[in-house]
Amino acid sequence: MISKKVILTGSFGVGKTSLFNQFIYSRFSDKYLTTIGVKVNKKTIEVNGREISLLVWDIAGEVSQDKVPTSYFLGASGIIYVFDLTRPSTYKNLEEDINYLKDMVKGGIIKVVGNKEDLVTEEQLEEVKKEISMPWDITTSAKTGKNVESLFQQLGAELLD
Amino acid sequence: MDKGRKPDSRDEELLLKELRQILLREDRDALEQLQEILDNKEQLTPRISPIIKEQIDLLKSNFPDEYRQEVREITKEQLLDSQEDILNLLYPAMGKMIKRYIAHQFQILKDSIDDRVKNTFSSQGILGKIKASLFGINSSDIILSDIDSPIIEEIFVVQRDSGLLMGQASIRSTIDQDVVAGMLTAIKAFVEDAFQKGTEELELIEYDTHAIFTQSFHSYYIAVAMKGSLSSGERDKLSTSLYDFAEKELKHRAKEIDETNFNYISSKLEEYFITTQLNKERTAV
Repeated sequence: MISKKVILTGSFGVGKTSLFNQFIYSRFSDKYLTTIGVKVNKKTIEVNGREISLLVWDIAGEVSQDKVPTSYFLGASGIIYVFDLTRPSTYKNLEEDINYLKDMVKGGIIKVVGNKEDLVTEEQLEEVKKEISMPWDITTSAKTGKNVESLFQQLGAELLD
Repeated sequence: MDKGRKPDSRDEELLLKELRQILLREDRDALEQLQEILDNKEQLTPRISPIIKEQIDLLKSNFPDEYRQEVREITKEQLLDSQEDILNLLYPAMGKMIKRYIAHQFQILKDSIDDRVKNTFSSQGILGKIKASLFGINSSDIILSDIDSPIIEEIFVVQRDSGLLMGQASIRSTIDQDVVAGMLTAIKAFVEDAFQKGTEELELIEYDTHAIFTQSFHSYYIAVAMKGSLSSGERDKLSTSLYDFAEKELKHRAKEIDETNFNYISSKLEEYFITTQLNKERTAV
């Protein structure tokens, strides 16, 4: 079976650990506990009849990606960049952050995720789309579990390609 | 040919043939001789060898000037292509050389300390000396034997950058080894990054009566989880065993993580570190 290292990153409080817990354990907690350093966990998924083991590194949130220890990105095949749809400060540097990440993981797959969909209306979502300079890949809700499995399925499929 | 008869074309042909034979006889003989030389190796070799030798000598003397640039380019290209392989091959050997030098220096230091304490009296020292003289063993060996040897509980080979597991063996199955390997790599990366020590590496993590010893190589590291304290001598011994293991078993397997390599490395880890240890324990009992 193929194993791949995936980095879960983004600003603090955007719901990275909640996405991580929803994906790994299928659970959500309203309690906010900041991640210290990094937490690693594994989940094996099946994509088109093929198994892939994702080693997910849930990294402590940083306002800017260049504050994350560079060694965490070494050997990563995929990055999930999460921002909070309700907090503009978490996506104001989106393009800059993505360019930085592209440089850190050359040839790696980057998925941009707008999280906390359960907290925004359709109109608010449209407003966010106008505000952001680049399109994101998927809108999720770690609380309801919406699109969480689908996010990792998409990533898994692209990693197997 | 009759006199008075005009020669016809057939006669002319015969005349020409005869004339050709007379004129070309010498050439034909020379050609036949040449053909014979060419067909006969024994005759050909002494004639050609000096020419070939001369050409080879010429090539040898002119080679550096004529082909220096080409050779340099090819070598450079090949070195760049196989940089990873070369480093994986050299790392264990270099580590062993450095260790041997350090061990030698430590031996000199130990000898000097032994000389100084030789005449020091203490109740333990006297007892040690009595035991040593009774059994004919060095007193420092007796002190070392009083300390419990650590037990290897788990051993992992981990890809250095990604933290992906390349092989593992353990005396009992614990939590997911992939996660352990990932977390260990994250801790190593965090410590090394936080203290910005350049090429220095995190070597030992201690917790209560357990310790994790790590030995880094070029593209991977080996982590050994142990129960019991690890003296500097045991640490040195373990480090040497890991270098030996890497040199013998990992140099051609460290490049790619796949099922075959994973199973091979895991079985070798089991053989070198777990089975041997269990056998020793059984013998001791």
